[in-house]
Amino acid sequence: MKEAVRDAASILRERLRDFIQAQEPEAQGIEVGNLAPLTAGNTRNAWSFDASWTEHGKARSVGCVMLRKAEAGQLETPLIPEFEVIRRLGKTGVPIPGAYWIDPEGKWLERPAFILERVAGTSDFPALMRPEGAEMSRGVAEHLVEVAAQLHTADWKSLGLDFLPATSVETAAAQQVEYWESLFRRHRLEPHPAMVGAFIWLKEHQPVADRITVVHGDFRYGNLLYEGKRINALLDWEMVHLGDPIEDLTWAYRALWTPAGVMSLEEFAQRYTKASGIPVHPDNLLFYRLFNEMKHAIISLTGAKSFHDGRTRNIVIADRAATVTSYLIQFYDWLPEVGVGKAS
Amino acid sequence: MIKPTVGELLGGVAISLRERVLPEIPAGVTRRQIQAAIGIIRRASLVWDKVGPYFFADNRDIEETLRRLIPVIERVTANETDADLEAVATKLRATLDRSGEQEELYPSPAVLGARNIELQEVLAELQEALHENPVAKSAGRLEIDALIRDLLRRMLARELEINSPARP
Repeated sequence: MKEAVRDAASILRERLRDFIQAQEPEAQGIEVGNLAPLTAGNTRNAWSFDASWTEHGKARSVGCVMLRKAEAGQLETPLIPEFEVIRRLGKTGVPIPGAYWIDPEGKWLERPAFILERVAGTSDFPALMRPEGAEMSRGVAEHLVEVAAQLHTADWKSLGLDFLPATSVETAAAQQVEYWESLFRRHRLEPHPAMVGAFIWLKEHQPVADRITVVHGDFRYGNLLYEGKRINALLDWEMVHLGDPIEDLTWAYRALWTPAGVMSLEEFAQRYTKASGIPVHPDNLLFYRLFNEMKHAIISLTGAKSFHDGRTRNIVIADRAATVTSYLIQFYDWLPEVGVGKAS
Repeated sequence: MIKPTVGELLGGVAISLRERVLPEIPAGVTRRQIQAAIGIIRRASLVWDKVGPYFFADNRDIEETLRRLIPVIERVTANETDADLEAVATKLRATLDRSGEQEELYPSPAVLGARNIELQEVLAELQEALHENPVAKSAGRLEIDALIRDLLRRMLARELEINSPARP
């Protein structure tokens, strides 16, 4: 196994050297060192490395992380929009890694991939959930409010992010529901009447957004690099889109990674509104809390289907369909009651 | 052969992998794959003998609820013109008429599972038909919604025992 990893690493080192040369034609003597796999998500394989070269007599050196598309997994999203969003948001105050190069079709790096700046910090979110990490977690949560406000007040039009699918305050919720329902219909392994019922409720109760912003789409503990109480970088942008910013707030408060132990959602929302000027309406909050349970359920179903169909052999996602039940139970627990004389 | 049961075998394998194999594997991709496999084997060890009874109980509950829904649907379609709902009601009756058609005294989990899919399907179609014509909701439609939602909650509670079984 170790031999195989070494071989893969040396082949990849060659590929990276050739790729960087093609991106930086003036570079001479390119060296790729310290190449090592990183623990990453189930949709991207990550490698860390250092690259150095000489350009017009000046030495250059950069710490890099390569994110390369995994075999089929839980999410199958294109790389170019993600890379472009990271590149363009780098011009704002949002903490985000620098965007270096992209190989959108895997011509150089075997599979589609892009290379980002390596940022200091840890993404260890269990450390933030433990009682002894409470003080640090509180600081990170306070910074997370600021980061949310920065992201959601970024002027996406002037940043040139209008290549993302267009939406409006009236249609933002409908578009997300339609997108995730289409994935549900494509990836379900059985009819799932509880999910059908959940989508019907979501279609019948779509709120109007206060405004349209960039929505990270996976905004949470676990997708940020932090040092002490400060967030150095927001990671994993594969679900980025234009939409209702409340979607990000409610995703951050899902039970699996919620910072509610150190900051209630109510306090987060108050601080967020103060920092961003964006109100958090109860209807939007409820809708996106429910929607996000479904979204995570579909991500899990997609992973389970990929394994079931033999398109991935990643055991980590093999049994993800079993996790869907608890998300649906949460959905139905939060759902307003129906019946004669009750809100539908 | 009764002993060891499939559950005992799988449970033992999960313990061996966790106690003997895992400590030998350094942190990284391979270790995470083995950990995930252990979790799946452990779940299978806990639910292997519960799947049949789960399908049996789920099928019975869905069938009973659908039988209760039929007169309510008939009341609704008598007062409203709704071709989609009438078509689903016809399919629903046909599906319920096939109840108890299994020839085996003790149907296998596979047979019960196939019936479960069939019942899930008609339940999903009924919900979609109700949604297709979102007229102002009559008392009958609200009654149907409430009965279906209660059923879905019971189905999820049963499903949870299979998907997230408590350790013995």
